[in-house]
Amino acid sequence: MPGLLTESGNSSSVVSYSPAAETPAVYTLHHCLKPPITPRLSISWSRGNTLRVTILRSPETANSVEEEPGGKVVDLKLSGEDVDSEINDAVRWRRIAYGSLSPFAHLQNKKNAMAALSELRHSTPYDGDWSKYVLEYSKEINSLLGSKKSSPASLIEDPKTVLKNVEEPSSLKAAWELLEIFYADKQSHSWILERLVDWLSDYNTLFSGQVPSVHLRLVEFQAELINTQVVENEIKYWQAISSALAVGWLDIAVKLLRLHGSYQLNQLGTRETENGLVEAVAVLVSKMPRMRADLPSGKLGECYFNKSDFVRAWEKWRAQITKLDCSAFWLQCSHHETKENLKNLLQILLGNTSALSSATCHWVELYIAHFLYIRPLTSGLESMYVLAQKCIQLKPTSSPHKLMRLILGILEENTEVVLAECSRSFGPWMIAHATELLTAGSIEAEILLKEERDKLGGISLEESHRLVYAQVLSSHALTWQIAPIYLISCMKHGLGLLEILLYKQPAYHSQVLLKNIEICRMYDLDSVSSNAMKIAGVHHWKHGRKGAGVFWLQQARDEVRLNRIAQKLFDFVGKSISDESFEQWEGLIELLGSESKTAGGLEFLHKYRDFKKSLQQVQDGIFNDAARKAGEALILLMKNPSTPQRFWLPLLYDSLKLLNWQERPLLNVSQTNLLLNKLQELSVARLRPDFVEVGLPPQALSSVRVALATNLGRAILEE
Amino acid sequence: MATETLKQFTRLPQSTYIDALRFLPPLSALDRYVVVASFNSDSDETSIGIHALTSTDTPTLTLQSSFTPSSRTSSLKVAQKSLNPIIAASTVAGFLHILFPNPIDASFESKVPVPEKRLYLGSITGLDLQENGSACVSVGEDGRVNLISVGDSGLDYRQIFDSKGLVSYTAAQWASPFEFATGGLGNLLQWWDQRRPGGPVTQFKGNWANVASSGIVHSIDIHPSRKHTCVAGGSYGSVFAWDVRRPHQSIVLSGIDNSETTTCLSESDVWEVQYDTFMSASDHAKLSTTGVLPVMICSEDGILAVLKQGEEPTELLAENCAINCFDIDQQNPSFRMGVYCFIDEGVAYNDRYGVIGLFSMANGS
Repeated sequence: MPGLLTESGNSSSVVSYSPAAETPAVYTLHHCLKPPITPRLSISWSRGNTLRVTILRSPETANSVEEEPGGKVVDLKLSGEDVDSEINDAVRWRRIAYGSLSPFAHLQNKKNAMAALSELRHSTPYDGDWSKYVLEYSKEINSLLGSKKSSPASLIEDPKTVLKNVEEPSSLKAAWELLEIFYADKQSHSWILERLVDWLSDYNTLFSGQVPSVHLRLVEFQAELINTQVVENEIKYWQAISSALAVGWLDIAVKLLRLHGSYQLNQLGTRETENGLVEAVAVLVSKMPRMRADLPSGKLGECYFNKSDFVRAWEKWRAQITKLDCSAFWLQCSHHETKENLKNLLQILLGNTSALSSATCHWVELYIAHFLYIRPLTSGLESMYVLAQKCIQLKPTSSPHKLMRLILGILEENTEVVLAECSRSFGPWMIAHATELLTAGSIEAEILLKEERDKLGGISLEESHRLVYAQVLSSHALTWQIAPIYLISCMKHGLGLLEILLYKQPAYHSQVLLKNIEICRMYDLDSVSSNAMKIAGVHHWKHGRKGAGVFWLQQARDEVRLNRIAQKLFDFVGKSISDESFEQWEGLIELLGSESKTAGGLEFLHKYRDFKKSLQQVQDGIFNDAARKAGEALILLMKNPSTPQRFWLPLLYDSLKLLNWQERPLLNVSQTNLLLNKLQELSVARLRPDFVEVGLPPQALSSVRVALATNLGRAILEE
Repeated sequence: MATETLKQFTRLPQSTYIDALRFLPPLSALDRYVVVASFNSDSDETSIGIHALTSTDTPTLTLQSSFTPSSRTSSLKVAQKSLNPIIAASTVAGFLHILFPNPIDASFESKVPVPEKRLYLGSITGLDLQENGSACVSVGEDGRVNLISVGDSGLDYRQIFDSKGLVSYTAAQWASPFEFATGGLGNLLQWWDQRRPGGPVTQFKGNWANVASSGIVHSIDIHPSRKHTCVAGGSYGSVFAWDVRRPHQSIVLSGIDNSETTTCLSESDVWEVQYDTFMSASDHAKLSTTGVLPVMICSEDGILAVLKQGEEPTELLAENCAINCFDIDQQNPSFRMGVYCFIDEGVAYNDRYGVIGLFSMANGS
């Protein structure tokens, strides 16, 4: 499948595929065969990424060693398939795979229900409810990818701890959240800029590995802070403040400002004006108007939900900054660094482009700074995209981070780029689940994803992504069970691939077989489960477990095979039919059940057992009733077309005692005639070359014939 | 009327797939040990380990010692032989291991592989130890029934029956020092008596609805006070009791039945049945009557429940993954603690795919 979808490395490639040649891995085969082994190998794919290698001995060496198997089948597990370093941890990956299963299935059910409903009402398939469901789905998946857990805060807050110790977030979660902001969360679109500010504050650390970032700058500063005596003399102190301020981490900026030496009690007297200026800036920072519904606790700023209120507050706030900037107090400030840097902070607040540019590290930070201080009213993806282009020009990066590429794709409104980016950087899981977000509300994306493409064998992009993901799931012994959920949501090839998946499971492994049957029961795949049962039945049969073979073939209602193995079974029975060892067949006959509809030719065995039982009773003691029953059973057996011809003579020979019953003839004229006819038929059949002679005494036929003739005569007399 | 409720429930995630687990008879008054047979599907490693169970507020399992069997464990039973615990484990490759843990530190004193050669062609599907640990009966899918006597001088084995593949067995359970029951395909139950060799003494073949009678018996239990009654669980959620003295009829406790009175708790495989040793006063009253004693079951669709004849089943747990095994601590009558595990391959519960659940019961009224 991946081979089909990959195109020359342009943006339309949907599956991550790295042709880069790596060092080949070497695996050792443990086959336990004694040398010499001539290299005759058969290699095929087994379940998942397991290679099945069959090692065959050459015939001449196989003959020389006795009791040595002619070969060995070895399963070889290949490892290291995960391209994405994020989900290299198999356990973590399985948790995500299993966790995302139920939100996905739930959303598909909702979608199907809504489609059915809209068909009834002839209305448009999507309405407000749908975006609500998508958001629910997105939030569930988001929470699955990790939570923003900070280490428990100590009771006494360390004033010198600027950054909280948070667990390293995953870029998968960062990417998912980006998609959620732009595609799923329709309600908060009016404050999308502020959401991006929050996003950067949560995930800026991810950029640190590849490009310098404000986060990195703060981490470095914090390390030095403990050894610094007079912070306001350090250039790094001011850099940290301006950077934090530029990307909108107001709480950090204010906290750092309050570390300023002028706040110390012994200096307050001499540096009163200076302290007043620092505090004035800190207050202005913490009063910054922000257009959003609310702020999480600990974050600073004043929220305005209404646009006109915000504009008014914004103007007023800027006026206050300008006023402070022109204040006469600056002349009285004797500390040069403080004066210069505070003025720089005011420039940042006022949106001075060069100040912002020097305070930020990469273009996304600069972009966020633009939103905060220059164009807080930017709306629409087009203008956001233009602004992003401008920021990239100001702060170009040689190799953009994968999240940067994703942001650009989204802003560009190019669904194909977004898809390619999701697939390239975050793997099949991401793309299979993110399509739901992309299609929510965007007609263009929906057309792109749902249009059937000849290039993909007539399936849509959406389906192909799901199929690829399902293939990934199928390739592992621990995840194949959840692949059916995704396959079943694929209209065109899902069912076919599901059947293949189920057929690939080793049906002879009873636990897997039972699981297989359970899955088939859930999806009404009766033919698949009956085929699996047939495979299991034949496997057991071939390995000498006749009972288990018959059981599974019966379950599969496979008349053809049951009839064929019946013939083979009769070969075994034939040898023991007249002696007492027939008892060992008891268990198998019980298995066949009294209602032998599904037993095929094997029902003979059941009837034969009943006959044998009554015959036994006749021999134990002479009971007329038992003898009569045995006679009836004999007629039933002989009448039944499923009774194999080769058993006719042994049956009659066994019943000689019945035919020569002393007290009265047990069989009437027509019954005796039937038996005579059968005997005649048998004599004719004997002339055929394929007739199988049974091991009976040579006079058996004649003694049966005589007995029948005698019985006929007695019966005629009685009638 | 007294009903059972789940008082406490803790999940203990495991890094491996759990094939089976049992409570070990107590080595001392304070220690509790659990035997866990596990399988690591990534490395194909199998292990039988003894874990110490500390059940304070948050129960924990600490591995004490482990043993590597020849292949995956298919069946695991424990007993007590002259105050020392004894473990019997069978493997899918057809080997049987009898293990004697050291009563002081739970380390494996001797690991006797029984016997050196394979007793079975194919998987051993069921085994059971005598209560006093003196004998072990085992059955296989190849239709062989073997008896291993555990003496002071060593182990001795003999074949009791070989169906030559005509019957495949799936479960075994002792009823008395001489009698035992086996289960097989087609919901077939057979009753054996060592004093009457040559084959089963009597057998039962379900004669109810066609579907149910074509299932597989996965587990059998026999109560010490009712040695003539087997309770069995198997395919299609069927749980039924069979009285040897009335060989042609059975009492269906759950499952697809012709009669409408029986409840159907689950439609998937019932993996384990055990008599519920935790009994209320009304249950004790039943001991003297003819009814079937309460039975605990677990199923493929994640249900752990207690079934009582003629009553609605009590569902203790409904998980979204299979519960393939459970055990009841026989030493803790008033306040019971059980161990069970989710061993549905691949269920990523709490980051792991094998989970041992610990629960204790309270008798609410």
